[in-house]
Amino acid sequence: MEYELSHLMAMGLFASFIIFLFIGYPVAWLMGGLAIMFTAISVFSDTYFDTFIGLDWGYSSIMVARIYAVMNNWILVALPMFIFMGIMLDRSGIAEDLMTNLAKLFGRMRGGIAIAVVFIGVLLAASTGIIGAAVVLLAILGVPLMLKHNYSPQLACGVVCATGTLGILIPPSIMLVMMADQVRVSVGDLFMGAVFPGLLLGALYAIYILIHAWIVPGAAPAPIDAEPVSARLLYNVVLAIIPTAGLIFLVLGSIFFGIATPTEASGVGALGATLLALFRGRLSIAGMRDVVQQTTKTTSYIFALFVGATAFSLVLRGLGGDEVIESALTGLPFGPQGVVIVVLAAVFILGFFLDWIEITLILLPLIAPVMISLDIDLVWFTIMFAVCLQTSFITPPVGFALFYMKGVVPKGIDMVMIYKGIIPFVLLQMLTVVILFNLPSIITWLPSVAYGN
Amino acid sequence: MSKVNELEHSMPHINELIEPLDESTFVLQEIPITRMIDRFVMAVGGVFNWIWVILIIVIITNVVLRYVFSQGMIELEELQWHLFAIGWLVGLSSTFILDGHVRVDVVHDKLKYKTKAWLELIGLLVFLFPFIGFVTYYSIPFVELSWSTSETSTSANGLSARWVVKGFLLFSFALLNLAAASRFIKVIVSLKNGSPINNNTV
Repeated sequence: MEYELSHLMAMGLFASFIIFLFIGYPVAWLMGGLAIMFTAISVFSDTYFDTFIGLDWGYSSIMVARIYAVMNNWILVALPMFIFMGIMLDRSGIAEDLMTNLAKLFGRMRGGIAIAVVFIGVLLAASTGIIGAAVVLLAILGVPLMLKHNYSPQLACGVVCATGTLGILIPPSIMLVMMADQVRVSVGDLFMGAVFPGLLLGALYAIYILIHAWIVPGAAPAPIDAEPVSARLLYNVVLAIIPTAGLIFLVLGSIFFGIATPTEASGVGALGATLLALFRGRLSIAGMRDVVQQTTKTTSYIFALFVGATAFSLVLRGLGGDEVIESALTGLPFGPQGVVIVVLAAVFILGFFLDWIEITLILLPLIAPVMISLDIDLVWFTIMFAVCLQTSFITPPVGFALFYMKGVVPKGIDMVMIYKGIIPFVLLQMLTVVILFNLPSIITWLPSVAYGN
Repeated sequence: MSKVNELEHSMPHINELIEPLDESTFVLQEIPITRMIDRFVMAVGGVFNWIWVILIIVIITNVVLRYVFSQGMIELEELQWHLFAIGWLVGLSSTFILDGHVRVDVVHDKLKYKTKAWLELIGLLVFLFPFIGFVTYYSIPFVELSWSTSETSTSANGLSARWVVKGFLLFSFALLNLAAASRFIKVIVSLKNGSPINNNTV
C-alpha cells in the first residue's frame, strides 16, 4: 500500500497522543483537543498548501452525532450500575468480613492467608472494575495481615497485585461491557466467555501459592496459635460468603439463563448491593450521598474518555488510520494465528502506558474488523485481548497495579520487592495466555450453552 | 487471634484511604469568583448525582413489570438511557472540579509547581477549550433541529421531547466550560502568586 499524506497525518496523530500523554493533561481532553488540532492542521494545509488531505470541519462535526450515540446506548447503561454496585459493596464492609473469616479458615495451613486473598479477589471481582480500587482494597486488607503472620513481603505483594487485577476480567466486569459495545458482540457472551479464564487464573495463583509455601517454608508459614476450625467458624464463613456469592449468582445467573439482559442485571445488582449495605446497617443518607457522588465521579471519568476517544477515533479514521492498521496487519507474513499473536503482543506492550479504557476505545474497534476478515472468533479474541491487557498491568517495570500497590503498602516494602513478588504471577498469566490460545474452548464453551441454547 | 482483631479494628475504611490518593497534590490558588463558580457547579452536580438512584428504580420497575406482569414498557427503557446520559454528562463538570479526570502522572509528579501550572495552562488553551468550543458550536444546530421539528422517539410508545436529552449535551458542555474557565483563572492566579500551600506555610 502506498502511504498518502493523510496516512502520515494519522500516524502523526497517534504519535502526538503518546508524546503529549506525558505532559500529564487529562487524557480525555487531550484526545478531544488533538482531534480538533489535526482537523485544523488538515484544513489549513488543504487551503494554503494545495494538499489533499480531505479532512474538513464538516467531517469532524460528525463528532456531535457520535457523542449522542454514546448517550443513546442502552448497553452502556450497565456501566454506572455496576460501578454503583461495586462502590456499595465496598461500603457494606463485606470485604473485611470475608477477610477475617477466610483468614481464620485457611490460615491454619501454609500459604493459607494468601489463598484467602485470592478467594476474596475472585469473589469480589464484581466490586472491582477499576484496577486501582481493587488493588488498594486487597492491599489494605491482606498485606498487613500476611506480614503479621511472617509471610515474605514479596509473596504478599505479588498475590495482591495479581489478584487485584483479576477484577477487570472476571464478570460482571465493566471492561467487558465496554469491549462488547466496541466489537459488537453480546455482553452476555463476553461475560460467559470470561468465567473459565478468570477461574483458571485464580486456580493457578492458588496452586502456585501452595507449592511455593511448601517448597520455601519461611515464605508463608502456618501460624503457631491457630484457632481450631469449629462449627461456629464454618457458620461464620458461610454467613460471610453467602451475600456476595448470592449477589454475583443473581447477576450472572440471570444473564446466563436469559432471564435478564446485562443492563437489567446491573440494575438488579445495584439494588441488591444497596439492600445488603442497608441490612448490615452500613447505610445512612450521608453514606448514600457519598456513594452516588463516587458513582458519578467514576462514571464521568470513564465517559469523558469515551467522548474524547470518540472524537479522536473519528479523526483518526478520517485520516485513514483504519487503512493503515489493516494494511499493516494483513501485510504480515503470517497466517491468521500469527496476526493474532502480533496484535496481542502489541496490546501487551501498549498496556504499559495506556489504560484499558483508551486501548479498548481506540484500538479495539480498529482491530475487530481485521479479525472478522481473518475469520477469528470475536468472543475468543476479545477475551484473549482482555487477558493480555490484564497481564500488562502487573508486568514490571511500569504496570499500573504495581504503582497503586506502592502507594498503600507499609513502609519498608520497596518497588524491587514488589517487582520480585509479581514475576511468578506474570509467568502464570503468560502460561494462561498460551493455554487459552491452544484450547479456545475454555472461552467459547460457556457462551455456547448459555441462555437456554 | 486477638491481635488480628485489633488490627482489623484499627484498619481504616477503604474509602478513607482511596480519598487521599484521589486528591491531586497540585493545588491551585482560588479567588472569590472561582470559589463561587466551583460551588455552583458542585451544587448542580450534587443534585444530579441522585439520578443513579432513580435509574435503579426505573430498571427494577421495568424488570418487575416485564417478568411479573409480562408487560414491558418502551417508555421506561428509553427513560433508562435518558437518565444515564444526563447523569454522566452533568457529572463531567463536577468531576472536572474534583480533578477526577485521569492523567498520566509519571513525569508530571516530578515537575516543579510553576512548570505544572504552565502545562495546565497550555492544556486548557490548546486542548480543552478548542474541544469544548467545537462540540458546543456543532451541537447548537443539532439540538435546534430536534427542537424545531419536535423530534420524538422512533418507537410508537417512546418518549416525546427528544430535544430535552439532546439539550443536556449543550447544557453539560456549557457547565464544563464554566468549570474550565474557573480553572483557567485559578491557573493564571497561581502562575502569578505561586502555590497556595507554600504561601500558607511560609
